[in-house]
Amino acid sequence: MPSLPKRKVGIVACSGEELPAGTVTRLAALKALEDLRPSETVTICLPLFLAGGEGDRAFARFYPTIAVDGCEKRCAARATELYSNKPAASIVVDDILAQHNLPAPQGLRRLTPESGAVVDALAGAIAAEVDHLMAVRWSRTDGAILEAAPAAQEAVSTSACACGSGIPVTTVQIAGRAVQIMALEPILELAYNQGLRANGTGALPDEILQTVQVYNTVPSGEEEQYAQALDLAWRAYCEQREGQNHG
Amino acid sequence: MSKRVIIVPCSGIGKTYGTVTREAAYQVAEELRPETTAIVPLSLLVLGDEGARAAVQGAQVITMDGCSLACATLNVRQAGGAVAKDFTVLDAFRRNKALKPRGISELNEGGQALARVLADEIAQTTDELIAGGVDHA
Repeated sequence: MPSLPKRKVGIVACSGEELPAGTVTRLAALKALEDLRPSETVTICLPLFLAGGEGDRAFARFYPTIAVDGCEKRCAARATELYSNKPAASIVVDDILAQHNLPAPQGLRRLTPESGAVVDALAGAIAAEVDHLMAVRWSRTDGAILEAAPAAQEAVSTSACACGSGIPVTTVQIAGRAVQIMALEPILELAYNQGLRANGTGALPDEILQTVQVYNTVPSGEEEQYAQALDLAWRAYCEQREGQNHG
Repeated sequence: MSKRVIIVPCSGIGKTYGTVTREAAYQVAEELRPETTAIVPLSLLVLGDEGARAAVQGAQVITMDGCSLACATLNVRQAGGAVAKDFTVLDAFRRNKALKPRGISELNEGGQALARVLADEIAQTTDELIAGGVDHA
């Protein structure tokens, strides 16, 4: 089975154009992504949730995200939860202003120089939240923090999606060609932890193919071939897990 | 129909082309056609905000996308809006290859100039829409 990537934290910024605080979220998210925590973070494009960004939805389903919003409408937090999973953390600019006793940011297209302090404070809060989420144990099955104990070292290397989302991809053979299935291993892990098993006589559980189709495009007419390939992967995964349980 | 033409940029956060759409939208709404255009944030449409949906449903909409996924155009259509004209940064860049955009937080000179090219085209389209001269795409 493929190994899982090192965990990363996704940052979803509202980036709203009509409020200075929207610009603040965008610039603070970029500062966290590019300067403060470049190795631990990826950006998730909010509009892609609705426009069909399978990689973005899959990432937010299985990995922790931080929603960064400019106002109490909390578009980033609510849209992330609506289309994928509840964010692990949600930060609103107003909270940062209150915590740091900062004035409201000014300027839309160009923030005023004084507003730079808000960007810095928000970026710092994002980075602190990233550190927290990297330090705790994260359940991909539940999409939630397990406990506050330090995470065990990932004994794995990365096989991540080329889209840059950090999602693991599994390459399977379908009709003689190599096909990458996004988020297959977390999906199999989810099914296994829900009690599903490959019992030798039964077909692939419907839930697995259905969940795979949420995050991957299965071409019309190839459902059966995909199911066969997924069945092989599912059986191998169950054997591996049962070996671990008895080993 | 509202008198104002609605501008919806993708504002993608991860790539320079998204920043070009955002900059171009501001140039149109703040400088070139402040009286006849307004920006609707895509994040509100993604969430299904009623005010944002009503705004795009009741107006002529110009979208700007930074990549082929066309988030702005798709989200406006999913919100029930009619896209009168959709612009892409890549098309603008193909027509103006000297203007290579770089930077995400801050656009370089080429990016600023490319945004201005887009903004000028959108301002012209806005005038045509106001005058009733552009069919919905």
